[in-house]
Amino acid sequence: MIILFYLFSAILLAFALGTVISTNLIHSALLMMGSFFAVAGLYLLLQADYLAMVQILVYVGAIAILLVFGVMLTRKGSIEESNLPNRYKTIGLVTALGLFGLLARSITYTRFPSPPLESPPQNIIAIAQAFLLQYIVAFEALGILLLIAILGAILIGKEPK
Amino acid sequence: MIGLSHYLLVAAALFCIGVYSVITKKNAIAVLMGIEFMLNAININLVAFNHFMAPSQVIGQVFAIFIIGVAAAEVSLGLAIILSLYRQRHLVAIDEMDILKW
Amino acid sequence: MNISAVSLELASLSLGLLTIILGLIFPSFRSKNTGGYLAIMGLISMLIGSLYLPASNTQTFINTFYVQDSLALFFKQLFIVVAIFVNAMSLRYLKPYTKNRGDYFALTFFALTGMMIMASAAEFITLYIGLELMTFTFVLLTTYKKQDLKSGEAGLKYLLLSAISSGVLLYGLSLIYGLTGKLDFSAISTVFSIGSVSPLLVWAIIMVLSGLGFKIALVPFHMWTPDVYEGAPTPITAFLAVGSKAAGFVAFIRVFFHVFAPFTSIFMPLLITLTVLTLLIGNLIALAQTHLKRFLAYSSIAHVGYILLGVIAYSKLGLSAILFYLMLYLFANIGAFAGVTALVINTGHDRISDLAGLWKCSPFLSVIFLISLLSLAGIPPTAGFIGKFYLFTEAIHQGYLWLAALALGLSLVAVYYYLMVIRTLLSGTSEETQPFIIPFSLRLVMIVSAAMTIGIGIWPGPFTDLALNIAQSFY
Repeated sequence: MIILFYLFSAILLAFALGTVISTNLIHSALLMMGSFFAVAGLYLLLQADYLAMVQILVYVGAIAILLVFGVMLTRKGSIEESNLPNRYKTIGLVTALGLFGLLARSITYTRFPSPPLESPPQNIIAIAQAFLLQYIVAFEALGILLLIAILGAILIGKEPK
Repeated sequence: MIGLSHYLLVAAALFCIGVYSVITKKNAIAVLMGIEFMLNAININLVAFNHFMAPSQVIGQVFAIFIIGVAAAEVSLGLAIILSLYRQRHLVAIDEMDILKW
Repeated sequence: MNISAVSLELASLSLGLLTIILGLIFPSFRSKNTGGYLAIMGLISMLIGSLYLPASNTQTFINTFYVQDSLALFFKQLFIVVAIFVNAMSLRYLKPYTKNRGDYFALTFFALTGMMIMASAAEFITLYIGLELMTFTFVLLTTYKKQDLKSGEAGLKYLLLSAISSGVLLYGLSLIYGLTGKLDFSAISTVFSIGSVSPLLVWAIIMVLSGLGFKIALVPFHMWTPDVYEGAPTPITAFLAVGSKAAGFVAFIRVFFHVFAPFTSIFMPLLITLTVLTLLIGNLIALAQTHLKRFLAYSSIAHVGYILLGVIAYSKLGLSAILFYLMLYLFANIGAFAGVTALVINTGHDRISDLAGLWKCSPFLSVIFLISLLSLAGIPPTAGFIGKFYLFTEAIHQGYLWLAALALGLSLVAVYYYLMVIRTLLSGTSEETQPFIIPFSLRLVMIVSAAMTIGIGIWPGPFTDLALNIAQSFY
């Protein structure tokens, strides 16, 4: 458990850093895919097996692939230098490090109560019940939202005649 | 023993990597990648809280699935707009989008 | 299960889907304005129907995650009114920009649905999904002028910035979930009312404040407003300025008056600082604008500052002052943006200098601009004066004399820049010689909004009573 946690976290953070540092956008996209796999690994450790599957299906299978397509369709100039930072590099670094420092301080400072010893419910059944009973409005609205995304991609992406 | 705060620290680090990427990247697609990192960090947070703090219900996992769905829609819309801007004006860099001053 | 709690959402959703399907079956439906007429008629019948919904008692759908109380009903009616105006403004405006008008009218319904879900959500997942539904639809509507280079750029900026802001909001929500184990408002506030303050809670409050602040264009989260307002089609700018902002405010009210109620000592100093910044930046930068829509964008930022005085007052009267102000803000802004739409239809431009000599070309349009801008400036016979008066007196009443004085001083600056625009309008000569053509639907929008602006100003009684009743039942 402990070894797996450190392994997945190390892969996740290393790949995420690689995504940000690499100047080749294709490399960034592929590294990002790897980091999404590591996130799925963390979900497995947290006994969220259904979510791990969704993560791989949607994030790796759809979102990352879509981003790779986007990169390839908008090539301009050399691909080696397609992912350059802008002039706010120092500001960004200071903001990110400062934010992490403050968040980490707050997280380590907070005493969380020890986990209650309840047996977790059957994962998929509980999720399905939450979707279709408690969160039905949000679920339907998400359906409409995805419809709008499809409609929008067609409306925007269509070549003007 | 791996506890809740370990997961939260990893998520916080990932969130800050996303923030850095969002602030410093020129390419609009790289900004979208940064946003995805931020959303993944939030999902790790939610699932970890769900596992350690309130395992009797799956609210955190359900929220995470909702966020994944919204993220997918976000990327598809974002890429559609980026592609149409590329076709119109042949640009993908955000700082070249200057018809509207910021 | 109580269907009447979601009846308006269902109606709006079915009308939107119907518009899309009709457009797929009949190609002429998409290229003509038929969809728009259908949309307006549907919306008017929804508005009439909503008057028969029970407003006095709180209704829930399935569980307490989705409530229809009088506050939600008030905001839903407000959104429907805005949508009627926006669709009527779009009828003629869209003609030169797109061949596909049917889907535009369908999208306004989806934006409306998103806002309604935000108004009724009493739980964070539902609130978030409603918010994203509204935002994505607005992104699409913003990019609708495909030939205009500004439009696509504005859409991308809106999408990226709102995605970042919702990322920040979600991080805050995940912390709230971690601290309470719940996501519905009443359960969270039960836990909060006995719980202690931890650093992560402060983070959560800051992040939720900035995430919701983005939607209402609170400084420093306002950067998107001028760009998106300028790039979007003018009726959609009006929709964003009134509808999206009101939807942000209803979420703001529910979260800060209810969920975070035990922690006023934490968020109040923050909110006061941001309100002061909002008032300063909104009013001072509006002075320097030459573009009419950017000018109205900064003026709308300044108005957020005034409305937030009601949140800072944190009382029943403060809440009712907010609701009253939102009503008059709606009619004044719709009047102003309808004027801009008419200007764009006739001249193709929307700079402030294009207003010069308007009095000679079209006295009617000038009068509409005059009434709307005077109301936004807060000058007596119009409604704006009474709205500001209520907000300022309630802020003073709760002990924020200095803040009310600052807001009053800055609204005098605002009077100056509104009067500058009015002076351009009344004096000067224009190259345009032929009289303006204002389509009937647009003329109707202008007449109704101007009449309401004057009407609320002269006879505010029923409207203040309505606002007070809603505030009473919310508390």
